[in-house]
Amino acid sequence: MLQLLSWKGGGVVSKQRQQVTISADSKTKLADVLFRQNIPQGIILRENPRNITHFHSYGGISKFFDGLAAGTLWGTVCGSCGNAGIWLPPRVHCPDCWQEMSWVKIDTSQATVYTHSTTNYPGAGFKATVPCPLISVEIPGICTKLMSYLSEFGDGEPYIGMPIRPVFSQNPTYTILDLSWVSRD
Amino acid sequence: MISFGNGNLRVPKLSRPVYMVAAGLTDFRKFYPEKQSTELCLESLKMAVEDGLGISPRDFKKMVNFCVYSQFADHFGDQLLAAAKIHDYLGFDPLGNIEVKTGGATGGSSVLAGVMAIASGYASLVPVIGWERMDEVNTRQGNAYIASAACKDFESELGWLYATYYALMMRRYIHEYNPNRETLTKIAQKNHHYARFSPYSQLPGDYTVDEILKSAVVSDPLTFPECCAMSVGAASIVLADEETAFRLTDHPVSVVGTGSGSHTLRTADRRNMPVLLLPNERPQLYQDRKNEWPGFTSFLAARFAAYLAYNMADITDPVKELDVLETHDAFTVSDIQTYEDIGLRPYGEGADFIESGDAFIGGRLPTNLSGGLLGSMHSVGATGIFQLSEIFWQIRGEWNKFHADDKYWGRFGKTKPNNFENLQVSNARRGMAISHAGTGSHVTAIILERGWSSE
Ligand SMILES: [Zn+2]
Repeated sequence: MLQLLSWKGGGVVSKQRQQVTISADSKTKLADVLFRQNIPQGIILRENPRNITHFHSYGGISKFFDGLAAGTLWGTVCGSCGNAGIWLPPRVHCPDCWQEMSWVKIDTSQATVYTHSTTNYPGAGFKATVPCPLISVEIPGICTKLMSYLSEFGDGEPYIGMPIRPVFSQNPTYTILDLSWVSRD
Repeated sequence: MISFGNGNLRVPKLSRPVYMVAAGLTDFRKFYPEKQSTELCLESLKMAVEDGLGISPRDFKKMVNFCVYSQFADHFGDQLLAAAKIHDYLGFDPLGNIEVKTGGATGGSSVLAGVMAIASGYASLVPVIGWERMDEVNTRQGNAYIASAACKDFESELGWLYATYYALMMRRYIHEYNPNRETLTKIAQKNHHYARFSPYSQLPGDYTVDEILKSAVVSDPLTFPECCAMSVGAASIVLADEETAFRLTDHPVSVVGTGSGSHTLRTADRRNMPVLLLPNERPQLYQDRKNEWPGFTSFLAARFAAYLAYNMADITDPVKELDVLETHDAFTVSDIQTYEDIGLRPYGEGADFIESGDAFIGGRLPTNLSGGLLGSMHSVGATGIFQLSEIFWQIRGEWNKFHADDKYWGRFGKTKPNNFENLQVSNARRGMAISHAGTGSHVTAIILERGWSSE
């Protein structure tokens, strides 16, 4: 047991001292090459790895991601702003009047590709295979152009105006990747 | 749809004149292990003070009363409150300071914050210091970090890559307006070329149109030379009120126009609306327009910022009334879009700004003579400050002093190229810099003008 020093400073200090050690999972590794360049002489470049879990709430738009898992595409529409269009991505509140909007099922029967780009060098954490054709989706009556991807494509696809239909993941990840599109033809 | 009330379109007014009196840069590199961010920031400000103002850091510091810091991403630098570290490193404690964050437009917004500090009377001498450290992670992780500045619920997961978000706009732009594909590559060609004459530049080079078109495709149709790169470095400018400015220099540069605009972080959410007209545009210009606006081909934020800045600076014909321009050419396509948003050409005709030769040295409005983001740098927090530094030197007739002098090439371990070109615009009086974030989430337009009367 460690003895406490008296507040007056005259206490007896134990000769037995506790050790402070560095935990074994922080093994030191110095880099000698990065970006295919050597580290200059005399410069220390220490690897600083990490693995962190965040817990992210979808809050009031949780229904949208729940809908993807159940095979339904939900948008929102403002009851007080007339025919201003359906929001997809949905929002809880209307940005024009700040009233809460209502949920509506999206009719995708007329959905087409508004624009597209096939990515070859995605950033870290991208979960799909490459090349992956990313698209923006145009749907009549929707005031926005949802970003998404084609999960199946042939030569010359996607193209602007391509008729598409939604596909919902059988193994939901509860991310926007649960929704993809394929040709309607 | 978005509609404007009178308050929304109020033109900004400074309560008293604001001047820019000095600028300094480091060089920019993909990987800069030799120096920490503190060292880079100090070196850029030291250059502004010693080479620009010609006074000692000790004398300069006695006059400073507030500082603005500009860094885009805490997760790149992996240091919260990094500004406090830099402020301390520069020996400015206990002066007040703020750190500004508006994505790619952080530099422009930081200068705007400095301008506000001076114009309000809160401060009389304000250094604005920007930097970014993008080399602590590999390029794939860096792209993911940048894409954290997209909507994490609906867009980031779709590529973790900003080049894709711009490529979506590019595909749509080509569909709506059908420009020559080659014209887009000429923007990259021009800026990589001008970067050859900058000792600060990261990606100088002479490319043929064919080489750019045949380079690897990042996200189609964008190829590698058409995209900006990860970058490390710092830039500083010094702002002052009138009395302090003329005490420090006989040739201060005046801030005559400022504008700041915004639009949805998600490109998806850009609703159709009538075109906001600039002073040089008449309503009939777009009366037969079929395409949506701003759609995926225009930046409402850029148009809004230009609207305010032009009205504030009394500019009615930007190509004629500006002498030099720096745009945020993160991608070739965004540059064409911006030419239209800031009224250099009507919507759909941006390519002509390149094809006509207007954008080149010797043209009517030389653009990105600095090498821009494609050729010179995009150390994000430093970018808007770098742009204004280059405009500042052009207006003062100091382009050669800070680009042609072997001292600067040597400082960064480089040799000046033999076939060096002089990029000083003769008699440049007025210039503008456009600082731009996200897929157009924030844009600032800042107009500088000769602040002294010519003899
Ligand atoms: Zn509403």
